[in-house]
Amino acid sequence: MALTKDDVAGIAEYARIALTEAELSDMTTYMNDAIDLLEPILGYDLDDVEPTFHPIGELANVARDDVPVAGLTLGEALANAASWRERSFLVPQILADGGAA
Amino acid sequence: MTSLDTLTARQIAAGIAAGDFTATEVAHAALDAISARDASTQAFLQVSENLALEAAAKTDAARAAGESLPPLAGVPVAFKDNMNLLGTRTTCASRMLETYESAYTATCVQRMLDAGATPLGKLNMDEFAFGSTTDSSAFHPTNNPWDITRVPGGSSGGSAAAVASGQVTLALGSDTGGSIRQPASLCGVVGMKPSYGAVSRYGVVAFGSSLDQAGPLGRSVEDVALAMNALTAGGRDRLDATSQNCAQDHLAHLEDPIEGRAVGIIPALLEAEGLASEVRTAILDAADKLASAGAHIVEVDLPNMASSIAAYYVLAPCEAFSNLARFDGVRYGYQEPRCTTLAEQSSLSRAHGFGPEAKRRQMLGAYLLSSGVYEKYYLAAQKVRTLITADYQRAFAQVDAILMPASPTVAWEHGAISDPAALYLADVFTISNNIAGNCGISVPVCLGADSGLPIGAQLQGPAFADAQLLTFARALERACHMEGIVAPAFAGKGGELA
Repeated sequence: MALTKDDVAGIAEYARIALTEAELSDMTTYMNDAIDLLEPILGYDLDDVEPTFHPIGELANVARDDVPVAGLTLGEALANAASWRERSFLVPQILADGGAA
Repeated sequence: MTSLDTLTARQIAAGIAAGDFTATEVAHAALDAISARDASTQAFLQVSENLALEAAAKTDAARAAGESLPPLAGVPVAFKDNMNLLGTRTTCASRMLETYESAYTATCVQRMLDAGATPLGKLNMDEFAFGSTTDSSAFHPTNNPWDITRVPGGSSGGSAAAVASGQVTLALGSDTGGSIRQPASLCGVVGMKPSYGAVSRYGVVAFGSSLDQAGPLGRSVEDVALAMNALTAGGRDRLDATSQNCAQDHLAHLEDPIEGRAVGIIPALLEAEGLASEVRTAILDAADKLASAGAHIVEVDLPNMASSIAAYYVLAPCEAFSNLARFDGVRYGYQEPRCTTLAEQSSLSRAHGFGPEAKRRQMLGAYLLSSGVYEKYYLAAQKVRTLITADYQRAFAQVDAILMPASPTVAWEHGAISDPAALYLADVFTISNNIAGNCGISVPVCLGADSGLPIGAQLQGPAFADAQLLTFARALERACHMEGIVAPAFAGKGGELA
């Protein structure tokens, strides 16, 4: 079943990408075209096939020796932030209702 | 007078070591070539003149001190702009990262510098590597040096165009679904996608983490092999958990004969819809040339390759959505002003920082990872990945390499294909290689009989048989006589060594 504009608006909210009304129409067309392109993988009987999540099958977690090494300085870490104050990244309020609810 | 157009990477390094010219003279010649040529190609996003001259001076000082020089000493190189290099911005050709200053240097970039290369700057690309034209760069398109009304391919279009127009001797690109091999084919240069894990991804801005691989582009297989030596020197990178120890001399067997070796072709693939007849003819001719060099041409089949586009356009958008979630305008990147909540700031920063294709890919990924849809598409795609990988294993039990096109057509005019889904279909010959983690390379074989534009033949090899693949690529290059060519409209314009 094709995705509707309302469906796509919900995905946009989840993806945190604000779309204009015109973008929403174009995106709905695109999404349905792209999903049509994916049809070939739905024709397989894959019950007995193991998924391959990664081309290198035997990955192991790696951890370096537990010794301190220099990382980014505070200034370097903040250098690319658009908004910062003292030692912190600065953001608007997190709760839409101001946290009163 | 010597021009950089006519020198290989090895000849540049040897000339500096012998005192025929200095690394500083080479750097000035490269800067001169960029100045004379890049207004037409628009391959560069930044030219790092100061970094280039500093590196060249260091090379010259080492020679003056009697030190032995590294293998790429003084060789002009530039990097796709998704690779971090201290002292440059790393924009991914996106408004989102327009002002982002690299906080560190990517391992692949550092290894080229450690090998003595001179960094000339950062190269244009499709935004965040989403595309196959370089037209989706937020800043400007890049033009194909063989015909500037046409695309260079993508997403590493700046890398291919800079090498093809003789502005640099080597460039690095990244390849998630063909983004080195396809532009290399369209621009008439050699472009190698190494096996997944052969080259560290540390410091390369992630698109699809299980698919991305950085690799070199050059005007000859030997130059690319030299770059592979540099990229794999030092072995495994502890900063990338997927990095493997692939250090070896990729030049050691480059000139080996291929007599008695087996090269696969896939007959059904050469009948694929949309494959231009001049490309088909070029690939069949390449097979004849390999046969003349003594190779056995063997028909093989990759029966699930037809589903690779579908599998890829599930896996890649999902991984992209996950990777690009970090761009929320807080720690770096574009930040929408005057927002009242964090959610509003994130949504508007992402809406106005990302371009259309970056938004499309993330939206598709978000949908495919949502509850209920995940099982239907994502899990199925990972299972189809198992089938595609098994197909390759069966084929490589019969042959050492597989020959096929890198692109179904030669370069097309800017704007000629505007439907995103139609563009995705053009990836048919490249993406299964990324899905399986194998190595691949595009080698220019001829100018198209109809178009007069470059055509590349792609050779694919098993994972971690990169050096062996280069042997086949060199054999093809020897037979086709297309090495070292700078696009005619640019050859000789600047770039002379005084």
